[in-house]
Amino acid sequence: MAGLTIKNLYKRYDNSGKKKNVQNDYAVKDLNLVAEQGEFIALLGPSGCGKTTTLRMTAGLEEITKGEIYIGDVLVNNLHPKDRHIGLAFEDYAMYPPLTVYDNIAFNLKAKGVDKAEIDRRVREIAPLMQCDDLLDKMPVKLSGGQKQRVNIARAIIRRPELLLMDEPLSHLDGKARQAMRTEIKRLINEIKCTTVYVTHDQLEAMSLADKIAIIDLGVLQQFGTPAEVYDDPVNEFVASFIGEPPMNILETTIVGESDHFLFTFENSNLRIVVPERYNNVVSNGFKCKVGVRPMDVLIGGADSKGSPEKVATFENLGDERRIGIHVGETLLMLITDDETRYKAGDIIKLEVRGEKTHLFDLKTGERIRER
Amino acid sequence: MARIQLENITKKFGKVTALDGISLDIKENEFFVLFGPAGAGKTTILNCIAGIQMPDEGVVKFDGEIMNLVDAAHRDTAMVFENYALYPQMTVYDNMASPLRSKLYKRDEAYIKQKIEEVSKMMKMDHLLQRLPSQLSNGQKQRVAMGRALVRSPRVFLMDEPLAHLDAKLRNAMRTELKEIQVNFGTTSIYVTHDFMEAMSLGDRIGIINKGKVVQIGTGDAIYYMPCNEFVAQLMGDPEINLIPGRLEKKDGGYTFTMQEGGRTYVLPKDKDLFAKFDQLGASAVDMGLRPQNLKYSFTPQEGYLKCTVYSYESIGNKSVIVAEMGGQQLRMIAPNGLHVKIDQDVYVDLMLDHSMFFDAGTKVYQSRYNEAEIKAVAKWED
Repeated sequence: MAGLTIKNLYKRYDNSGKKKNVQNDYAVKDLNLVAEQGEFIALLGPSGCGKTTTLRMTAGLEEITKGEIYIGDVLVNNLHPKDRHIGLAFEDYAMYPPLTVYDNIAFNLKAKGVDKAEIDRRVREIAPLMQCDDLLDKMPVKLSGGQKQRVNIARAIIRRPELLLMDEPLSHLDGKARQAMRTEIKRLINEIKCTTVYVTHDQLEAMSLADKIAIIDLGVLQQFGTPAEVYDDPVNEFVASFIGEPPMNILETTIVGESDHFLFTFENSNLRIVVPERYNNVVSNGFKCKVGVRPMDVLIGGADSKGSPEKVATFENLGDERRIGIHVGETLLMLITDDETRYKAGDIIKLEVRGEKTHLFDLKTGERIRER
Repeated sequence: MARIQLENITKKFGKVTALDGISLDIKENEFFVLFGPAGAGKTTILNCIAGIQMPDEGVVKFDGEIMNLVDAAHRDTAMVFENYALYPQMTVYDNMASPLRSKLYKRDEAYIKQKIEEVSKMMKMDHLLQRLPSQLSNGQKQRVAMGRALVRSPRVFLMDEPLAHLDAKLRNAMRTELKEIQVNFGTTSIYVTHDFMEAMSLGDRIGIINKGKVVQIGTGDAIYYMPCNEFVAQLMGDPEINLIPGRLEKKDGGYTFTMQEGGRTYVLPKDKDLFAKFDQLGASAVDMGLRPQNLKYSFTPQEGYLKCTVYSYESIGNKSVIVAEMGGQQLRMIAPNGLHVKIDQDVYVDLMLDHSMFFDAGTKVYQSRYNEAEIKAVAKWED
């Protein structure tokens, strides 16, 4: 087992179009990442952000334009994929249909010339980990999607790779199978403690599986941190709105100075929120920026609340929780509550915001404005 | 707008019975959700109402009038599918105008213009009218498809999984938007979905469909708090409800519950109506149903808590789920994001018994629950 180090990695695809003199933009731009030995890293971003390209360069399936990739201490830029000691599991299972599950799992070891007894021992060791021990005699056509993906992952880890690479392994599965498989992957990695890089566009998967998440947009790394860090301390508006469901409320605001405090004010809305004191050094009267707060951190005040009275625009009772939407100008501000009260559209509630959970973002760049 | 009634509808495709004696009574102006797993027969029900498919048995009535022999075009229904099927060469305005310009309706342009303005304002898409479909996002396209159906003021508005293929975030946002505009529809609406959040949020009432049969009908609250069986209980709610097999025993005028796994006995808190129901049913082998938000956890031993180990800890967005394991019994519970929890570490679990519901262990049918009378009042329970 070994860690993974990516240094100043670039990728540019050749422009095969008509305009020969125009070069494509970089698909991956100056990417730096370190996965410690045994760590589970998620590459997360919208489609086309360069996450799969990065994974494929690590696997050796794609040429590197510029930069270096190390597995352990070994520079692998020029190594053949088979010499990189990696395990691969993709969205497509790509099993050999005429072979049984057993032979599919054993295939790579057989190709390497490992002796029969050793292969058998390793197949029987891996199979229970992926709960496919009673599938070994079946043919791939007889398996459900979830079972196929389990066999696929078993096949990837049987070689005892130094690095396990997975590309959206759950995206073919639906609702409950997906959730169950996610848990299994998490338990498996916990068991075999293999350094893992996992590509996904689903923030939930990344949040629940990974030790650290690399959030990528347009080929550029936005933030690299633990799930708690990217959730509670996003570096910019993109990360803030990408992580979390429902997403963070992000509103354009103009700061108004009062005698001893500042207020967030909003166009076409009477909503006023007191600016937390810690921002007093960065804001001033008339300052414009965006303010972000998660739906869990907007609260309904009691009868004696000093919060702004606001009209309920939408009330959704979802059983497990209730969601309320309030119009702030053109935007719908969402809040989530466990409160059992059934509101209806038009009801007035007092709105309170957990000041310590607000984030400020630059109006133009979307960068986080931090207190000084 | 119309009252839609289905009486004993049966529909077979070869040997497969798609609908097996479906009866529904959907009120005028109601927003009714058909909810169930894939292949339950939800879409076939819509097709029978629209007249796209003929039931083998049973009648479809609009406002008391039997519609079985009226062809689809003359039933005055409007349907929206998962696919928007917009005319790509026409602007949003012309797409919306297309049904009113058709031979069947032939409205004059002034009427069309007024109607489109009214609907597009309600759907918050008046700024999109001059665009082509290719210039719209998927969410906007679906809104146009719905708007096009609504300009006709149909007697009933049928929607078949209109949000199903949007990604999770957009689907949630669209659901909330739909919730906001649906009050203005002024049309009887029937909405098919397999997403329980859509069913809970949008439906005035929900009809649970499984294997071609109506399983339960009621408000979201009624179905969530008093599911008629374990299947429905598991369908409503994510993470799924905990079902804990065990035995009830009468003791000192009250009841105890003994868990099958581990054999722990709980003295059940007093609830006169519940205990009377137990007396009446002579219940013994039951499954206790407890929603994940009604379990408490602690990472240090606590008086009365069950000792379990952590099977998994996963974020589900704004909160997380801990799955605890004790022998073969798994218990799901809600926890905040960002805890430092290790797989297989000890966790201590408390059951909030006064939120539990009970199912017969053999038939899996709902028996009773705590505070049933109060819940019936909140849930506008209809017997």
